[in-house]
Amino acid sequence: MALINLPENSKVQKGKYFKDKTGSENLRKVNIYRWDPSTGENPRIDTYEVDMNNCPSKVLDILNKIKNEIDPTIAYRRSCAHGVCGSCAMNMGGKNGLACTKPHAEIDGDIDIYPLPHLKVKKDLIGDLDGLYKQYQSIEPWLKTNSKSETSEIIQSKKDREKLDGAYECIMCACCSTSCPSYWWNGDKYLGPAVLLQAYRWIVDSRDQERESRLKKVADELKLYRCHTILNCTSACPKGLNPAKAIAEIKKMLATANI
Amino acid sequence: MESKEPLSPHIQIYRWHISSLVSISHRITGIVNIIIITLICVWASLLLLGESKYETINFFLNSFIGKFIILGITWSFIFQILSEIRHLIMDLGYGFEPLITKITGLIVICGSIILTIIFYLIGKNFI
Repeated sequence: MALINLPENSKVQKGKYFKDKTGSENLRKVNIYRWDPSTGENPRIDTYEVDMNNCPSKVLDILNKIKNEIDPTIAYRRSCAHGVCGSCAMNMGGKNGLACTKPHAEIDGDIDIYPLPHLKVKKDLIGDLDGLYKQYQSIEPWLKTNSKSETSEIIQSKKDREKLDGAYECIMCACCSTSCPSYWWNGDKYLGPAVLLQAYRWIVDSRDQERESRLKKVADELKLYRCHTILNCTSACPKGLNPAKAIAEIKKMLATANI
Repeated sequence: MESKEPLSPHIQIYRWHISSLVSISHRITGIVNIIIITLICVWASLLLLGESKYETINFFLNSFIGKFIILGITWSFIFQILSEIRHLIMDLGYGFEPLITKITGLIVICGSIILTIIFYLIGKNFI
Protein backbone atom coordinates (compact mmCIF):
# COMPACT_ATOMS: atom_id res chain seq x y z
CA MET A 1 0.00 0.00 0.00
CA ALA A 2 1.29 3.39 -0.96
CA LEU A 3 2.15 5.46 2.08
CA ILE A 4 1.98 9.11 1.11
CA ASN A 5 3.00 10.54 4.48
CA LEU A 6 6.34 10.00 6.11
CA PRO A 7 6.49 7.87 9.26
CA GLU A 8 6.54 9.72 12.58
CA ASN A 9 10.31 9.39 13.07
CA SER A 10 10.99 10.76 9.57
CA LYS A 11 9.03 14.02 9.78
CA VAL A 12 11.40 16.83 8.93
CA GLN A 13 11.86 19.66 11.42
CA LYS A 14 13.35 23.10 11.21
CA GLY A 15 17.04 23.08 12.03
CA LYS A 16 19.84 25.50 12.65
CA TYR A 17 20.51 28.67 10.72
CA PHE A 18 24.12 29.41 9.78
CA LYS A 19 24.46 33.12 9.08
CA ASP A 20 27.09 34.31 6.64
CA LYS A 21 30.33 35.50 8.25
CA THR A 22 32.22 36.64 5.15
CA GLY A 23 30.16 39.77 4.60
CA SER A 24 29.66 38.91 0.96
CA GLU A 25 26.95 40.63 -1.10
CA ASN A 26 26.28 37.61 -3.28
CA LEU A 27 24.65 35.11 -0.91
CA ARG A 28 22.45 32.11 -1.55
CA LYS A 29 20.47 30.14 1.00
CA VAL A 30 21.14 26.42 0.94
CA ASN A 31 18.71 24.13 2.80
CA ILE A 32 20.19 20.76 3.61
CA TYR A 33 18.54 17.64 5.07
CA ARG A 34 20.37 16.55 8.21
CA TRP A 35 19.98 13.49 10.38
CA ASP A 36 22.41 12.36 13.02
CA PRO A 37 22.10 8.67 14.01
CA SER A 38 23.80 9.30 17.37
CA THR A 39 20.89 11.41 18.63
CA GLY A 40 17.32 10.22 18.89
CA GLU A 41 16.02 13.31 17.13
CA ASN A 42 14.02 13.59 13.93
CA PRO A 43 15.67 14.78 10.72
CA ARG A 44 15.94 18.54 10.31
CA ILE A 45 16.64 21.10 7.62
CA ASP A 46 19.70 23.25 8.28
CA THR A 47 20.00 26.49 6.38
CA TYR A 48 23.36 27.88 5.32
CA GLU A 49 24.11 31.25 3.79
CA VAL A 50 26.83 30.64 1.22
CA ASP A 51 29.07 33.23 -0.39
CA MET A 52 28.61 32.59 -4.12
CA ASN A 53 31.43 34.93 -5.18
CA ASN A 54 33.97 32.35 -4.09
CA CYS A 55 32.18 29.18 -5.09
CA PRO A 56 32.65 27.15 -8.29
CA SER A 57 29.68 26.24 -10.45
CA LYS A 58 28.37 22.87 -9.26
CA VAL A 59 26.19 21.85 -6.31
CA LEU A 60 28.98 19.61 -5.02
CA ASP A 61 31.21 22.69 -4.82
CA ILE A 62 28.65 24.27 -2.50
CA LEU A 63 28.62 21.17 -0.29
CA ASN A 64 32.42 21.07 -0.18
CA LYS A 65 32.48 24.76 0.67
CA ILE A 66 30.01 24.28 3.51
CA LYS A 67 31.93 21.27 4.85
CA ASN A 68 35.28 23.04 4.63
CA GLU A 69 34.31 26.52 5.77
CA ILE A 70 31.03 26.48 7.68
CA ASP A 71 29.99 23.14 9.14
CA PRO A 72 32.37 20.15 9.08
CA THR A 73 29.75 17.77 10.55
CA ILE A 74 27.78 17.42 7.31
CA ALA A 75 28.00 13.96 5.69
CA TYR A 76 27.63 13.10 2.01
CA ARG A 77 29.16 10.66 -0.46
CA ARG A 78 31.45 11.93 -3.19
CA SER A 79 34.43 10.62 -5.04
CA CYS A 80 35.35 11.42 -8.64
CA ALA A 81 33.58 14.81 -8.97
CA HIS A 82 33.29 14.25 -12.74
CA GLY A 83 30.02 12.35 -13.13
CA VAL A 84 31.68 8.97 -13.52
CA CYS A 85 31.44 7.24 -10.15
CA GLY A 86 27.83 8.06 -9.24
CA SER A 87 28.59 8.57 -5.53
CA CYS A 88 27.14 12.03 -5.10
CA ALA A 89 23.64 11.21 -6.33
CA MET A 90 21.11 13.24 -4.36
CA ASN A 91 17.94 15.27 -4.69
CA MET A 92 18.62 18.91 -5.59
CA GLY A 93 15.88 21.45 -6.27
CA GLY A 94 13.29 18.65 -6.27
CA LYS A 95 15.04 16.52 -8.86
CA ASN A 96 17.54 13.70 -8.59
CA GLY A 97 20.98 14.13 -10.11
CA LEU A 98 24.69 14.07 -9.48
CA ALA A 99 25.84 16.98 -7.31
CA CYS A 100 29.13 17.09 -9.24
CA THR A 101 27.50 17.68 -12.65
CA LYS A 102 24.48 19.75 -11.59
CA PRO A 103 25.15 23.51 -11.95
CA HIS A 104 23.61 25.43 -9.06
CA ALA A 105 22.68 28.20 -11.49
CA GLU A 106 20.00 25.84 -12.85
CA ILE A 107 18.17 25.88 -9.52
CA ASP A 108 15.87 28.84 -8.89
CA GLY A 109 15.53 30.39 -5.47
CA ASP A 110 16.91 28.66 -2.39
CA ILE A 111 18.83 25.48 -3.05
CA ASP A 112 17.13 22.51 -1.39
CA ILE A 113 19.30 19.43 -1.00
CA TYR A 114 17.87 16.11 0.19
CA PRO A 115 19.13 12.53 0.10
CA LEU A 116 17.79 10.31 -2.68
CA PRO A 117 14.03 9.89 -2.07
CA HIS A 118 12.41 7.02 -0.16
CA LEU A 119 15.56 5.43 1.22
CA LYS A 120 16.56 4.60 4.77
CA VAL A 121 18.90 7.40 5.74
CA LYS A 122 22.27 6.42 7.22
CA LYS A 123 23.34 9.97 7.96
CA ASP A 124 22.53 13.38 6.46
CA LEU A 125 22.59 12.96 2.67
CA ILE A 126 23.60 9.30 2.68
CA GLY A 127 20.85 6.84 1.77
CA ASP A 128 20.94 3.07 2.16
CA LEU A 129 21.17 1.45 -1.30
CA ASP A 130 21.54 -2.18 -0.12
CA GLY A 131 18.14 -3.17 -1.50
CA LEU A 132 19.02 -1.86 -4.94
CA TYR A 133 22.36 -3.68 -4.99
CA LYS A 134 20.67 -6.95 -3.98
CA GLN A 135 18.22 -6.53 -6.84
CA TYR A 136 21.12 -5.79 -9.18
CA GLN A 137 22.73 -9.03 -8.07
CA SER A 138 19.47 -10.89 -8.68
CA ILE A 139 19.56 -10.22 -12.43
CA GLU A 140 23.04 -11.82 -12.60
CA PRO A 141 24.84 -9.00 -14.38
CA TRP A 142 27.57 -11.03 -16.03
CA LEU A 143 28.04 -12.78 -19.35
CA LYS A 144 26.67 -16.30 -19.33
CA THR A 145 27.46 -18.99 -21.85
CA ASN A 146 26.34 -22.62 -22.00
CA SER A 147 29.44 -23.88 -23.71
CA LYS A 148 32.03 -25.41 -21.42
CA SER A 149 34.58 -26.07 -24.16
CA GLU A 150 34.65 -22.58 -25.65
CA THR A 151 38.21 -21.37 -25.57
CA SER A 152 38.19 -18.73 -28.26
CA GLU A 153 36.94 -15.19 -28.05
CA ILE A 154 33.20 -14.67 -28.65
CA ILE A 155 33.07 -12.23 -31.54
CA GLN A 156 30.46 -9.45 -31.58
CA SER A 157 29.61 -7.55 -34.74
CA LYS A 158 29.64 -3.77 -34.70
CA LYS A 159 25.89 -3.80 -35.23
CA ASP A 160 25.29 -6.03 -32.22
CA ARG A 161 27.65 -3.94 -30.17
CA GLU A 162 25.60 -0.85 -31.01
CA LYS A 163 22.61 -2.40 -29.26
CA LEU A 164 24.41 -1.88 -25.96
CA ASP A 165 24.76 1.86 -26.49
CA GLY A 166 22.58 3.73 -24.04
CA ALA A 167 22.66 0.80 -21.59
CA TYR A 168 26.29 0.08 -20.79
CA GLU A 169 27.01 3.72 -19.82
CA CYS A 170 24.90 3.40 -16.67
CA ILE A 171 26.92 4.13 -13.53
CA MET A 172 24.32 2.75 -11.08
CA CYS A 173 23.99 6.03 -9.22
CA ALA A 174 20.33 5.17 -8.42
CA CYS A 175 19.02 8.60 -9.46
CA CYS A 176 16.42 6.94 -11.70
CA SER A 177 15.20 4.21 -9.34
CA THR A 178 14.78 6.59 -6.42
CA SER A 179 12.89 9.07 -8.61
CA CYS A 180 10.26 6.48 -9.50
CA PRO A 181 6.97 6.56 -7.52
CA SER A 182 6.38 2.91 -8.38
CA TYR A 183 9.76 2.06 -6.90
CA TRP A 184 9.04 4.14 -3.79
CA TRP A 185 5.99 2.09 -2.97
CA ASN A 186 6.90 -1.31 -4.39
CA GLY A 187 10.67 -1.16 -4.10
CA ASP A 188 10.82 -4.50 -2.31
CA LYS A 189 9.42 -6.32 -5.34
CA TYR A 190 9.60 -4.02 -8.36
CA LEU A 191 13.14 -4.03 -9.74
CA GLY A 192 13.12 -0.35 -10.69
CA PRO A 193 14.53 1.45 -13.73
CA ALA A 194 18.25 1.13 -12.91
CA VAL A 195 18.18 -2.64 -12.49
CA LEU A 196 15.79 -3.16 -15.41
CA LEU A 197 18.07 -1.11 -17.67
CA GLN A 198 20.88 -3.48 -16.69
CA ALA A 199 18.63 -6.51 -17.21
CA TYR A 200 17.99 -5.15 -20.71
CA ARG A 201 21.71 -4.65 -21.27
CA TRP A 202 22.33 -8.40 -20.71
CA ILE A 203 19.22 -9.51 -22.60
CA VAL A 204 20.28 -7.72 -25.80
CA ASP A 205 23.96 -8.69 -25.57
CA SER A 206 24.54 -10.96 -28.58
CA ARG A 207 27.28 -12.87 -26.75
CA ASP A 208 25.02 -13.90 -23.90
CA GLN A 209 23.36 -17.30 -24.32
CA GLU A 210 20.86 -17.10 -21.49
CA ARG A 211 18.60 -14.58 -23.16
CA GLU A 212 15.46 -16.63 -22.80
CA SER A 213 15.88 -17.48 -19.14
CA ARG A 214 16.78 -13.86 -18.42
CA LEU A 215 13.52 -12.77 -20.08
CA LYS A 216 11.54 -15.39 -18.20
CA LYS A 217 13.03 -14.32 -14.93
CA VAL A 218 12.11 -10.67 -15.37
CA ALA A 219 8.60 -11.39 -16.76
CA ASP A 220 6.72 -10.81 -13.55
CA GLU A 221 3.74 -8.68 -12.62
CA LEU A 222 5.72 -6.98 -9.87
CA LYS A 223 9.32 -7.13 -11.07
CA LEU A 224 8.66 -5.55 -14.46
CA TYR A 225 5.09 -4.46 -15.04
CA ARG A 226 4.98 -2.01 -12.14
CA CYS A 227 6.46 0.43 -14.63
CA HIS A 228 3.60 2.75 -15.58
CA THR A 229 5.68 5.04 -17.80
CA ILE A 230 5.69 7.92 -15.36
CA LEU A 231 9.09 8.76 -16.91
CA ASN A 232 10.62 10.31 -13.81
CA CYS A 233 13.56 7.97 -14.44
CA THR A 234 14.42 9.28 -17.89
CA SER A 235 14.07 12.88 -16.80
CA ALA A 236 16.33 12.24 -13.78
CA CYS A 237 19.18 10.28 -15.43
CA PRO A 238 22.34 12.41 -15.15
CA LYS A 239 23.95 10.42 -17.97
CA GLY A 240 21.11 11.13 -20.41
CA LEU A 241 20.10 7.47 -20.67
CA ASN A 242 16.56 6.24 -21.14
CA PRO A 243 15.59 3.49 -18.68
CA ALA A 244 11.89 3.88 -19.53
CA LYS A 245 12.57 2.97 -23.15
CA ALA A 246 14.64 -0.05 -22.11
CA ILE A 247 11.76 -1.27 -19.93
CA ALA A 248 9.35 -0.76 -22.83
CA GLU A 249 11.69 -2.79 -25.06
CA ILE A 250 11.71 -5.66 -22.54
CA LYS A 251 7.90 -5.57 -22.42
CA LYS A 252 7.85 -5.61 -26.23
CA MET A 253 10.22 -8.59 -26.38
CA LEU A 254 8.02 -10.47 -23.93
CA ALA A 255 4.88 -9.64 -25.90
CA THR A 256 6.36 -10.89 -29.16
CA ALA A 257 8.50 -13.84 -28.00
CA ASN A 258 7.25 -17.38 -27.55
CA ILE A 259 8.31 -18.11 -24.00
CA MET B 1 8.76 -2.34 14.71
CA GLU B 2 9.62 0.99 13.22
CA SER B 3 13.23 1.25 12.19
CA LYS B 4 15.37 3.87 13.84
CA GLU B 5 16.62 5.13 10.52
CA PRO B 6 14.28 7.73 9.01
CA LEU B 7 12.84 7.46 5.52
CA SER B 8 14.02 10.22 3.22
CA PRO B 9 11.26 12.50 1.87
CA HIS B 10 9.87 11.42 -1.48
CA ILE B 11 6.61 12.70 -2.97
CA GLN B 12 6.75 15.66 -0.57
CA ILE B 13 9.84 17.05 -2.28
CA TYR B 14 9.96 15.59 -5.78
CA ARG B 15 9.19 18.13 -8.46
CA TRP B 16 6.29 17.39 -10.82
CA HIS B 17 6.80 17.46 -14.54
CA ILE B 18 4.46 16.95 -17.46
CA SER B 19 4.86 13.18 -17.77
CA SER B 20 4.31 12.46 -14.10
CA LEU B 21 1.29 14.80 -14.05
CA VAL B 22 -0.25 13.07 -17.07
CA SER B 23 0.46 9.68 -15.52
CA ILE B 24 -1.19 10.45 -12.17
CA SER B 25 -4.13 12.18 -13.89
CA HIS B 26 -4.53 9.11 -16.08
CA ARG B 27 -4.99 7.00 -12.96
CA ILE B 28 -7.32 9.46 -11.26
CA THR B 29 -9.53 9.91 -14.35
CA GLY B 30 -9.57 6.12 -14.73
CA ILE B 31 -11.05 5.69 -11.27
CA VAL B 32 -13.43 8.65 -11.76
CA ASN B 33 -14.64 7.20 -15.07
CA ILE B 34 -15.57 3.89 -13.46
CA ILE B 35 -17.62 5.73 -10.84
CA ILE B 36 -19.22 7.86 -13.55
CA ILE B 37 -20.18 4.84 -15.65
CA THR B 38 -21.88 3.37 -12.59
CA LEU B 39 -23.76 6.63 -12.05
CA ILE B 40 -24.85 6.73 -15.69
CA CYS B 41 -26.23 3.20 -15.24
CA VAL B 42 -28.14 4.33 -12.14
CA TRP B 43 -29.42 7.33 -14.07
CA ALA B 44 -30.59 5.11 -16.91
CA SER B 45 -32.39 2.76 -14.53
CA LEU B 46 -34.08 5.69 -12.81
CA LEU B 47 -35.81 6.40 -16.12
CA LEU B 48 -37.81 3.24 -15.51
CA LEU B 49 -39.32 4.80 -12.41
CA GLY B 50 -41.31 7.32 -14.41
CA GLU B 51 -41.49 10.88 -15.58
CA SER B 52 -41.24 12.64 -12.20
CA LYS B 53 -37.89 11.04 -11.41
CA TYR B 54 -36.64 11.95 -14.87
CA GLU B 55 -37.71 15.54 -14.34
CA THR B 56 -35.75 15.69 -11.08
CA ILE B 57 -32.57 14.50 -12.76
CA ASN B 58 -33.18 16.76 -15.73
CA PHE B 59 -33.57 19.70 -13.38
CA PHE B 60 -30.38 18.82 -11.53
CA LEU B 61 -28.30 18.34 -14.68
CA ASN B 62 -29.54 21.65 -16.08
CA SER B 63 -28.47 23.54 -12.97
CA PHE B 64 -25.07 25.21 -12.78
CA ILE B 65 -23.56 22.42 -10.69
CA GLY B 66 -25.06 19.80 -12.97
CA LYS B 67 -23.54 21.43 -16.03
CA PHE B 68 -20.22 21.72 -14.26
CA ILE B 69 -20.30 18.02 -13.43
CA ILE B 70 -21.16 17.08 -17.01
CA LEU B 71 -18.29 19.18 -18.34
CA GLY B 72 -15.99 17.51 -15.81
CA ILE B 73 -17.17 14.09 -16.94
CA THR B 74 -16.57 15.01 -20.58
CA TRP B 75 -13.06 16.20 -19.79
CA SER B 76 -12.31 13.13 -17.72
CA PHE B 77 -13.30 10.77 -20.54
CA ILE B 78 -11.46 12.75 -23.23
CA PHE B 79 -8.34 12.98 -21.09
CA GLN B 80 -8.41 9.24 -20.44
CA ILE B 81 -8.77 8.44 -24.14
CA LEU B 82 -5.99 10.80 -25.28
CA SER B 83 -3.67 9.63 -22.53
CA GLU B 84 -4.42 6.00 -23.37
CA ILE B 85 -3.47 6.65 -27.00
CA ARG B 86 -0.19 8.12 -25.72
CA HIS B 87 0.40 4.99 -23.65
CA LEU B 88 -0.41 2.73 -26.61
CA ILE B 89 2.20 4.52 -28.72
CA MET B 90 4.69 4.12 -25.87
CA ASP B 91 3.87 0.42 -25.63
CA LEU B 92 4.97 0.17 -29.25
CA GLY B 93 8.31 1.60 -28.15
CA TYR B 94 7.97 5.11 -29.57
CA GLY B 95 7.99 8.55 -28.02
CA PHE B 96 10.37 8.04 -25.10
CA GLU B 97 12.75 10.90 -25.86
CA PRO B 98 12.41 13.56 -23.14
CA LEU B 99 11.36 16.29 -25.57
CA ILE B 100 8.79 14.07 -27.30
CA THR B 101 7.27 12.97 -23.98
CA LYS B 102 6.91 16.63 -23.06
CA ILE B 103 5.20 17.43 -26.36
CA THR B 104 2.85 14.42 -26.27
CA GLY B 105 2.03 15.19 -22.63
CA LEU B 106 1.16 18.77 -23.55
CA ILE B 107 -0.96 17.52 -26.46
CA VAL B 108 -2.90 15.33 -24.02
CA ILE B 109 -3.45 18.16 -21.51
CA CYS B 110 -4.27 20.92 -24.02
CA GLY B 111 -6.13 18.55 -26.35
CA SER B 112 -8.43 17.38 -23.58
CA ILE B 113 -9.34 20.95 -22.67
CA ILE B 114 -9.86 22.04 -26.28
CA LEU B 115 -11.95 18.98 -27.14
CA THR B 116 -14.08 19.52 -24.03
CA ILE B 117 -14.83 23.07 -25.18
CA ILE B 118 -15.65 21.83 -28.68
CA PHE B 119 -17.98 19.15 -27.26
CA TYR B 120 -19.64 21.78 -25.10
CA LEU B 121 -20.20 24.09 -28.07
CA ILE B 122 -21.53 21.25 -30.23
CA GLY B 123 -23.91 20.21 -27.45
CA LYS B 124 -25.06 23.76 -26.83
CA ASN B 125 -25.64 24.79 -30.45
CA PHE B 126 -26.64 21.64 -32.30
CA ILE B 127 -28.36 19.27 -29.90
